Amino acid sequence: MTPVVIHDPTLRDGQHAVRHQLGVTALRGYAEAADAAGIPVVEVGHGNGLGASSIQVGQAAVSDDLMLSTVREALRHSQMAVFMLPGWGTSSDLRKAIAHGADIIRIGVHCTETSLAERHLGFLAEAGAEAHCVLMMSHMATPEQLAEQAAAVVGYGARGVGIMDSAGYFLPDDVTERIRAIASAVDVPVIFHGHNNLGMAVANSVAAAAAGAGIIDGCARGFGAGAGNTQLEVLVPVLERTGFTTGIDLYGLLDAAEFAERELMPAPPFTGSLSIVSGLAGVFSGFKHQVLESSGRAGVDPRDVFFELGRRQAIAGQEDLIVDVVAELSAREVAG
Amino acid sequence: MTITEHVGTTEPVTVAVIGTGAIGQDLVSKVHNSPVLECALVVGRNPDSAGLRHAERLGYPTTAGGIDAILAAPRPFDVVFDATNAMSHAEHWRLLRPLDTLLIDLTPSKLGQMVVPTVTGTQTPTERNVSLISCGGQASIPIAHALASRFTAAYIEVVSTVASTIAGRATRLNLDEYVATTQQAISAFSGVADTKAILNISPAVPPATFRTAVHAVIPGATTEAVRAVVDAAAEQVRAFAPGYRVTACSVTGDRVVVSVEVTATSEVLPHYAGNLDIINSAAILVAEQHAARLGRTTRTGARR
Repeated sequence: MTPVVIHDPTLRDGQHAVRHQLGVTALRGYAEAADAAGIPVVEVGHGNGLGASSIQVGQAAVSDDLMLSTVREALRHSQMAVFMLPGWGTSSDLRKAIAHGADIIRIGVHCTETSLAERHLGFLAEAGAEAHCVLMMSHMATPEQLAEQAAAVVGYGARGVGIMDSAGYFLPDDVTERIRAIASAVDVPVIFHGHNNLGMAVANSVAAAAAGAGIIDGCARGFGAGAGNTQLEVLVPVLERTGFTTGIDLYGLLDAAEFAERELMPAPPFTGSLSIVSGLAGVFSGFKHQVLESSGRAGVDPRDVFFELGRRQAIAGQEDLIVDVVAELSAREVAG
Repeated sequence: MTITEHVGTTEPVTVAVIGTGAIGQDLVSKVHNSPVLECALVVGRNPDSAGLRHAERLGYPTTAGGIDAILAAPRPFDVVFDATNAMSHAEHWRLLRPLDTLLIDLTPSKLGQMVVPTVTGTQTPTERNVSLISCGGQASIPIAHALASRFTAAYIEVVSTVASTIAGRATRLNLDEYVATTQQAISAFSGVADTKAILNISPAVPPATFRTAVHAVIPGATTEAVRAVVDAAAEQVRAFAPGYRVTACSVTGDRVVVSVEVTATSEVLPHYAGNLDIINSAAILVAEQHAARLGRTTRTGARR
């Protein structure tokens, strides 16, 4: 039996599905349930991480400070993780997170732009924090590029590195190839974070573990943007049956998922038509709400908007492109 | 006609450029095209850098001797452009402060007096250190200032996107300074306390044109009124940065969003590198106005 560490970003990535509106009671309740289930790492924050509350992506209901102190207090055994995108949050946000008792700090960068993380990973290494780096939108790079970028971030000080399938684009073989390439390039734990746009998140995560990933992400009820993330309470037993150990209590896990469904979300995510399109277009599912709103007002097909965003290679954080794309498609329709 | 004939003096306004990345190279090229500025030295740290080769091809003296080479000059340069990084700028300012030199800072160090040409004018401050804030600041502040002058804004947020291929190492290491400096400048020039700055680096191929989205919370604004205000502001910016244009402008409830794109008109920059073009054009404008005030010139900065 091979151990894997389950990393639970329900209270961070799930925020995208509810426009970053999770309140203190929900945060505390889920953190307590996850802690009771023995989920080893619980990540919290605005959907785009520390310092990211904004009109561009969505303004959070609760400040970073309050989110972190609430979850820290609720976790008695589990580690607390936070997430930060350079250019959105800064080192002063990292300092605050350390002061709040964050155990693991993940720096997210677009998969081919890891040098953006050099300064912050260096800062965290110096501060003695457990810093990990995740390469986002990893379907936009080859396995070789990902391996090279992963080696670079370990050089900057990351003690864990991995990939996010931010658009839910991968099939299991894609994941196997990428995780193998990364695992052979670094000597730190490798992370996989799946999205479910094409219904492959659990299968992709199992492929990742089999290829050598030591840290696998999953969210309760798949709570996440669009089609959602890897469904945690499915992932864990499937991993156990495949021959991996997680140390998580099954009933506790199922209880936490019940709590999440009841208290965190209006309804569990499912693979709707637009999520399939965003997966095929290779665009981050988090754009969904704004695409729907903007295209609805202008009377253009939101599917066209996603495919056009894909053509422009929009990356996470570039929500401001939506208005321009909608305006352009709307003008084209009038002209045509 | 030689530069001397142009400026009508035997003592040209001398300029040095520190930093040999894309910003430094474009500055050298813009100084080359300026009728009133003379490039006297281009300074790097790596003798093999492409930036030094570029300056040599244009016929200018170069050195890999760093800031020491600037200090060793027999007569202080009239203007020194600092295109290094925010950390180095603090040291450069400390060393150049005693000299009779105008330091123009292209890094987001926030040490000098902040200049956005269409908002602040381009006067030389008493403390001879001018901060050009950041590329996102140069692109967004004319819009933020115009909106805040006409309407009552409760919040302003600026999101800029720069193509990866022209985001050099200094830019990548200075993201924190970029965010803090841009945010502070937006507050200073809009009078709105609650502001936010965000920077995205786009890996798209072909590279994405530099863009800035200005989000504002303004109760009671109409699209027509916002459009008129931002179009007028953009027209003023185009006087020195002709690639500056408003690409989208929408008002939904109290949410205003104005998108701006800037293309470069430069011999050394790709067209999408409007971020570097606008900050460098502003820097050249400051230097040329300074040259005019030094009284050694007969012409002022109408380069284009």
